[in-house]
Formats: sequence, C-alpha cells, structure tokens
Amino acid sequence: MKRILENIKIAFKSLGLNKLRSFLTMLGIIIGVGSVVAVMSVGAGAEASITENIQSMGTNVITITPGREQVFAGNREVRMESNAGQGGGFMVTRRFGDNEDEEIVAGELYLEDVDALKEKAKLLNEVVPVLSGFNSTFSYMSWSGNVSITATTEDYLSLQSYEMDKGSFFTASDVSNSSNVVILGYNVVTNYFGKANPVGEEVKINGKNFTVMGILKSAGSTFGMSPDDSVYIPITTAQNKIYGVDTVDQIIAKVESEDVMDQAIDEAKATLRVQHHILPGESNDFEIRSSTQLLEIASSVTDILIITLTSIAAISLLVGGIGIMNIMFVSVTERTREIGIRKAIGAKNRDILAQFLTESVVLSLSGGIIGVGFAGFVTWILGTFTTLSSLITAFPIILALSFSTVIGLVFGILPAMRAARLNPIDSLRHE
Amino acid sequence: MNQKIINIKNVTKIYKIGSVRVNALNGINLEINRGEFLTIMGPSGSGKSTLMNIIGCLDTPTSGAYLLEDEDVAKLNDNELAEIRNKKVGFVFQTFNLLSRTNIIGNVELPLIYSKGKPARSRKDLISDVIDSVGLKEWERHKPSELSGGQRQRVAIARALINEPTIILADEPTGNLDSRTGEEIMAIFQNLNKEGKTILFVTHEIDLARHAGRIVYLKDGIITGEEKISSPTNAKEKLENMPKLEDKINSIGENALT
Repeated sequence: MKRILENIKIAFKSLGLNKLRSFLTMLGIIIGVGSVVAVMSVGAGAEASITENIQSMGTNVITITPGREQVFAGNREVRMESNAGQGGGFMVTRRFGDNEDEEIVAGELYLEDVDALKEKAKLLNEVVPVLSGFNSTFSYMSWSGNVSITATTEDYLSLQSYEMDKGSFFTASDVSNSSNVVILGYNVVTNYFGKANPVGEEVKINGKNFTVMGILKSAGSTFGMSPDDSVYIPITTAQNKIYGVDTVDQIIAKVESEDVMDQAIDEAKATLRVQHHILPGESNDFEIRSSTQLLEIASSVTDILIITLTSIAAISLLVGGIGIMNIMFVSVTERTREIGIRKAIGAKNRDILAQFLTESVVLSLSGGIIGVGFAGFVTWILGTFTTLSSLITAFPIILALSFSTVIGLVFGILPAMRAARLNPIDSLRHE
Repeated sequence: MNQKIINIKNVTKIYKIGSVRVNALNGINLEINRGEFLTIMGPSGSGKSTLMNIIGCLDTPTSGAYLLEDEDVAKLNDNELAEIRNKKVGFVFQTFNLLSRTNIIGNVELPLIYSKGKPARSRKDLISDVIDSVGLKEWERHKPSELSGGQRQRVAIARALINEPTIILADEPTGNLDSRTGEEIMAIFQNLNKEGKTILFVTHEIDLARHAGRIVYLKDGIITGEEKISSPTNAKEKLENMPKLEDKINSIGENALT
C-alpha cells in the first residue's frame, strides 16, 4: 500500500515536470471520456423524457394510426405520422410489437371513426383525434415564425394530463363550430409575448385569424420536440380552414384499465373493421398500438442511437490510449538512467514495472476524471442553450473511469515492461 | 563472524558481441576481509568495471564462484540480485548518479523504498542522521543540480550508507572532481573505514590508490600483482598541506601585479 502511494507520488511528480506534454497526452482520453459520458447522459435524458411523456398519459392508452405504405403519405405538405405530444417525432418504417406479422394496407381515419369508437367501444373512455402540422406560419403583430399545430378535440387536455397556465382550453362547441380559437404552448408564449398575457389577443396561423383562449404550463421536451412549441386548435377548424381535409392523423384513446388492454384493442379493431367495411379475411387499413408498445419503439430507437454514438466516441478513447503508450515509451527512454540508478540501488523488475504502470494509469485516469468534468460542462451547455435534456447517472461515469483505468493498464504495460527489463549496467551508462 | 566477506574463485566473464567473444575476466581470485580498504587499479579495458559490476551484483560471472558473506551469489536471478544490492552493497559512482528531480532527502531515502522490513529507527531520523554525517544538513531540501560536485558525491555516499551495507563500492568516485575536492572525498572514505566499513575503491591514479591498505593490480582480465601499503596516504593531513585553490589564485594574482 505504501509502495503504491509512493508510486502515485512519483507519477504525479514526473507528469508535473512535463505539464504541457502530459496534458496533450491526456486530451485524447479527456475528449473520449467526455463524449462517451455526454452522449450517454443525453441519451439517458432523452429516454427518461420519452418514458415520462408516455407514462404521463398513462400506460392504459392506445394509439390508432391509419395504415401507411410509407411514412410520408397523402399530399398535404409537411406531415408526419406521429406528433410531438406523443413523445414521437421519429419515423418508423418498420412495424414493431404484436402487429408485426399482421399485414396492413393503406387507409385513412376520419372523425366518424372517432364517433363510432366512442359509441361502440365500451372499454375506451376517452377517444381523441389528432391532426398535426409542422412548420406552420404563426404571426402576432409584426412578429412571425414557425410553430407546430396540434389539432384535436376538447378531451385532449385531460388525456395528455397537460395543465392550463392561464385562460381555458377550447370546448366541445368550439370543435363543433370550427371556431378560430387557439391554445398556446409555453415556448410559443415566451417567444412571441414575453411576459405579457396573450389571452384574448389576435394571432395569425397560416394567414387565418385566431383568438388566443389560453396558455399551457411547460411540459418539457423530448428529442428537441416539445408540446411547448406547439399551438392547439380545434380539429374541425384545422380540417376545414387550414388543410382542407376530412381525415385525422391518429386517434388516441384511454382504456378503462390496463387489465382489459387486449380486449379493448380487439373491441376497437372490430369497431373500425365494421366502420371501414372490411370483410373477414381482408387486412386492416389501420394500426393499433398500446403505449407500452410505443415505449418499446421509442426506447429501441434511442438505444440504437446511443450505442452508435457511444461506439464512435469510444474510438477516441482508443486513440487516446495509443497516445499514452507513445508518450510512455518516450518517458522510458528519457529516464533510462533513472531506471538504472533505481535498479542499482535495489529496485526489482516488478518495482520498475509498477512505477511506470502507475504513471500511465494516473495519466489516463486523470484524463478520465477531467473528461467527466468536461462532459458535465457539455451537458450543462446543451441543457442551457438547447432543449436537449440530459441525465447524468453514476453508470456512465463509473464505466468511463474504469475504462480509462483499463486503458492506462493496457497501453502502459508494454512501455512499463520495456522499462522493467532494462539492464542496469547499460542503463547507468546511458547518456 | 567470518572475516572473509568476499571470496571470488576463478571467476571469468565472457561477453558476446555479435559473433565476437570478449574475455573481460580470465580467472580472478580475490578475497576481501571485513573492515578492509582495498583499491583495484588498472588501465582502461583491464576489466575493472566488469569485476566491479560482478562484485556489486549488477552482473553475474560466466563461470567461477562468488561468495558474498558465505552466500553464493553467482547464480542468482535478477530479483534476488536486486535484493542483495539493496541490502549488502552501497554504490558510489564517478558520475554521482543521483535522481536529478528529487531533493537530497529523496535521493538518500531511495534504497529504503526498495527494502523489505522496517529499519529499527524511524526513517526520518535515519535519513537526517546520515545526511548530517556527510555534512549536508542545511542542503537536505535542495536538488542535486543546486549542489557542487563534491557535495553531490557526498549525497551519493550518504545514499550508499543508508542501508548499512556489507561493502561500499566506489568506482572512480573522484574522477569528476578537482584534486582538493577528491581528497576531501577520500578523507570521508578513510573515516568510514576507520569506523569499520569495508570499502572497495577503483581507480587508475596511483596517488589515490595509495589511500587504501592494499592495492590489487588488474590487467587484461587477470590480477597481475598485489601490494600491501604499510602507511597509506592520510587524506586529512594531505589536505592540510594542500594550498587552497583561492590562496593559489590570490598568490598568482599578486605575482602578476608586481
């Protein structure tokens, strides 16, 4: 133990004598560890907020989407299959979950489907249609910019468990009358109104006049997509006055309880088959997913993303390790005489081995520790200046630190062995 | 206790450099008694250094026996040799061989770092006593580069003494020093010898060789002769009769002026 402390002291001393060189050598490890920890933290943050988003709706929610041959279907501009409020926004061309082997043909969903489900599917409590549009023009007085539109019905608020900050959500009569009313997400309010109260103000969406009825409390973000960036209007208004369609993007519904999830899905399926006149033996032209399945899709997508990015980051750790090996070889050559002196005085081969191995581990572990600090800084920057939220957990830190220790050992062993094997007589003669 | 602490019998050392065989030692027989001050003298290439390396356990003989305090060390492996060097040998080199980045305390402490078992007294006391004994008390926190050659060699002597070795090996310890400083170092060795330390001294200068009680002459890898010195040069007396360098400079200066 005392010998180890002694070696650590020697290591710090000798690294301190070449501060710039030591720092440059560490840089590879700093960047490697920093990016691994940062990527894993951002990934963990994304996954946590996806999970949170989906779970805030409850695990007893199902989502019905029209059958699609490809992700972008229909001829409306800038449309995507799922919307931000769903914790989605990612494109899924593969079918996941239970429906995987079930063939699905192209189709559409209509408001009539919603009515049918409300009437016939007894296990569904709230049935809400959603139509969404990205990059819609939003303007207030002379300011204008882009927002996402989420067009839906009055039940959306309670379904998503969003809370109102000021004013109120639109009502059933607003929906049936196709009223030009809008509810603003938190970021939209801060971007266009600052601290002023927008309720009652007139705004323009895609050139049409809308009256602000209320604003939502902040709900956080997922993958940089946030319900806070959205504006909410009655679905009929969107269909009739903005997009000129009679379809909906998806239908979200709450199941009575999680225990009857399967029956509820079957019930909804049967209802829609009748509604869409699908004969026995024919394929569905819609798809039903439970929130658990959505969660699986989301986390498998983020997992792939995290693994890919982490592997790329890990390569710089490898490069950093090679840098350490290089500098340790230089150090052994430079200090040949010192090694000779130590050996003449009684240092055994393993003492010299331990000394140089300690030095390379100290070098790489210090790099690792600084790298974790660097990752903390990077995630702080990301958290402050972008909507990416990150979650720094103990796991990536422990992983990165043990990884840098291992790198110090692996890349230090060859130089240390060379040092240990030096002949004391020759080393003492070394100039 | 055996008087004979070093017993070398018919030792040879052959180096192979490529396909060339170099016979550095051709059958050396040498005995050294406890408390002796012995000089090995010889020209360059005589095998002095090779013999020194073998006696110092830095190297092993190609053939022959080497008993150090009755222990056969001719066939030991690297680690066993390291332990012997640590416990029984104190080196003083011509080029001092101090760790340049470590202060005097650190340099003197070095052999203790690699020894097993704790010294009887606390490390700190031991180190400061040894540094004191070579007269460098006020320099103990300085680095070797801040010291003069003579002072550096004293640090090396202190380092050689710290583990109370069986024998002190001094390989041309005055080679890099002026004659007066060299004489001061010889005085330290004579003093240590008087206290009972066994010292093996290597040189090619006959004046310095005569400080010891016995001279062994080495040439072409064999011992060609031996001489007992009945009255060795006393370094202390010699120093008193030696003009100090500054005196000499002053007198030359005066002569030049007149």
